[in-house]
Amino acid sequence: MFRYVLRNMWRRKARTFLTVFGIVVGIFALTVLGALSARLNQQVKGAEAWFTSKISVVPSGSSLFGGSEGYLELSKVDEIEAVPGVKSAVAGFGLTLGEESIGFGAPELIVGAELEKAGDLLSLIELNRGRLLQMGDERKAVLGSTLAEKFEAGPGDTVELRGKDFEVVGVYEPTLSAPDGFAFVSYEDALNLFREANPYFEVRDIAATIDVIPQPGVDMEELAARIAESVPGVKVISPAEAEKQISQFSLIFNAILLGIGFIALVVGGLSIVNTMIMSVSERTQEIGLKKAIGAETGSVLGEYLLESAMIGFFGGLVGMLLGLLAVALLNRATASSNVAVFTVTATVVVGPVVFATLLGTAAGIFPALRAARLKPIEALKED
Amino acid sequence: MIVASGLRKIYRVGSMEIKAVDGLDIFIEAGEFLSIVGPSGSGKTTLLHLLGLLDAPTSGSISIDGMDTAALSPKQLTRLRREKIGFVFQEFNLLPVLNARENVELPLRYLKVPAEERRRRALRALEMVSLTDRADNRPGQLSGGEQQRVAIARALVTEPVLVLADEPTGELDTYNTCKVIELMRDLNRDTGQTFAIVTHDPMVADYTRRIVSLRDGRIASDSAGPEAALECDAGAGDIR
Repeated sequence: MFRYVLRNMWRRKARTFLTVFGIVVGIFALTVLGALSARLNQQVKGAEAWFTSKISVVPSGSSLFGGSEGYLELSKVDEIEAVPGVKSAVAGFGLTLGEESIGFGAPELIVGAELEKAGDLLSLIELNRGRLLQMGDERKAVLGSTLAEKFEAGPGDTVELRGKDFEVVGVYEPTLSAPDGFAFVSYEDALNLFREANPYFEVRDIAATIDVIPQPGVDMEELAARIAESVPGVKVISPAEAEKQISQFSLIFNAILLGIGFIALVVGGLSIVNTMIMSVSERTQEIGLKKAIGAETGSVLGEYLLESAMIGFFGGLVGMLLGLLAVALLNRATASSNVAVFTVTATVVVGPVVFATLLGTAAGIFPALRAARLKPIEALKED
Repeated sequence: MIVASGLRKIYRVGSMEIKAVDGLDIFIEAGEFLSIVGPSGSGKTTLLHLLGLLDAPTSGSISIDGMDTAALSPKQLTRLRREKIGFVFQEFNLLPVLNARENVELPLRYLKVPAEERRRRALRALEMVSLTDRADNRPGQLSGGEQQRVAIARALVTEPVLVLADEPTGELDTYNTCKVIELMRDLNRDTGQTFAIVTHDPMVADYTRRIVSLRDGRIASDSAGPEAALECDAGAGDIR
């Protein structure tokens, strides 16, 4: 049956090729975007773990993902700590690693934290090797996994952050998210780096974010609401809020992916329908003959469904393989800057092929029914 | 054994009624070798379609081997056709993507015969039509005469009780016409299968044992054929 259907497809090589190619284009796009979305979802997932295990307090008018306007006064730390249920509030100061950092996904950051109180915060991520930052550390850094790879540095090595030498004391486990690109330093060191970069800006007693670690057993959402109520002039991002912002972020990409899938569905599907209708009308007499010599309706139906499913399958397979090739090449191109833009997961590989095959099958339903319902004598009469 | 009585087939085209077959009784015994002749429009092809269960009569009944077909569902009719009837058409109707053997195997596929047996029976059928050496050729590589012989092998491979041929020599030259008729006559003699051949070629009819002549959807005459001796003149050549 398979061989027979393949031979039938081969009768109109150019037409079959063009139809398959239409699917290839759609599935190629779907695969590349799928890999992109898989990478984003991976980052988002990791980010969720980081952002939802604490309450972030930022200047009012900014969001979780930068866009910070102004800074928080350090006095806010005490105000927050006075709120019942807060275990500690840690002032943080972040600045981009490069002078200008325009990259894909989360930027590489230098994150300064008040070391006297940051123990809980800094141990949210598991350490791979070395040690955590301790009170009194100066010009010392713990690197996220991606950054450690980029600098090819481990504990004991010296790295240059914004022109200053820092000793690496530890490296975190990969989280596949934003903190992988962070260099954690002390609050003072981060502030000093900022002063260097902005010599005319009076920098004193400010923080970019204040991370709040709750006391055990305290409901984070309620605590976030309490902080927002009692501390004026700040924006409180609760874990739920963080999750919402993060999922909104990934929702947009998933929507784009769905859009591409829909276009592939319409364009590819219609071209398969068209091809199959032509095949059926070309082979009307053959269908009549088959029915005359005893083919059942279901057998004719199955034959044409198989043919259109195979068009979908081949298009999907080739499109997916081309997509993987493109993804591999792009990832290699960006490998030097240590930014993996795409992730290939099982879904990325299997999904598009399954999708294309189902699409082909669905597109074949109408033409196949048309073929199966032909009356033998009428079909035989046709020339 | 086929018994048709009071057979009527009326087509409606707009407000017009076309009586393709108009009250026809026919009795065909097992092992007969008959031709159905008549001018075009006399209803011979329609009759063949009715006898072959490809079309349902407007009224009247057909029974094959004692089974009344009127009560059967489309699915049962398909099965009966598959098991009891073989078809040979004017235009051969071989599938171009299959080779000769695979074309002959096709009806056995629909009978769900296992692959090995299918192959064996197809080769035997090709042997009966003297085309063993062409088994691997596709229809495009065969002459008209050879294609029609493949089609006959396909009709015979299921060992049907009735072989219906619709103008089987219509697209063949004199030599191949002769060969095809000779083949069918030999097969009829050797296997005892019933052959009913629709033709407008008087030469073909003359070779058969019984000639049923139709006019306006009725039987005009039903007589014994001369069963002329066949001498195929090879000089006419097999045009490829």
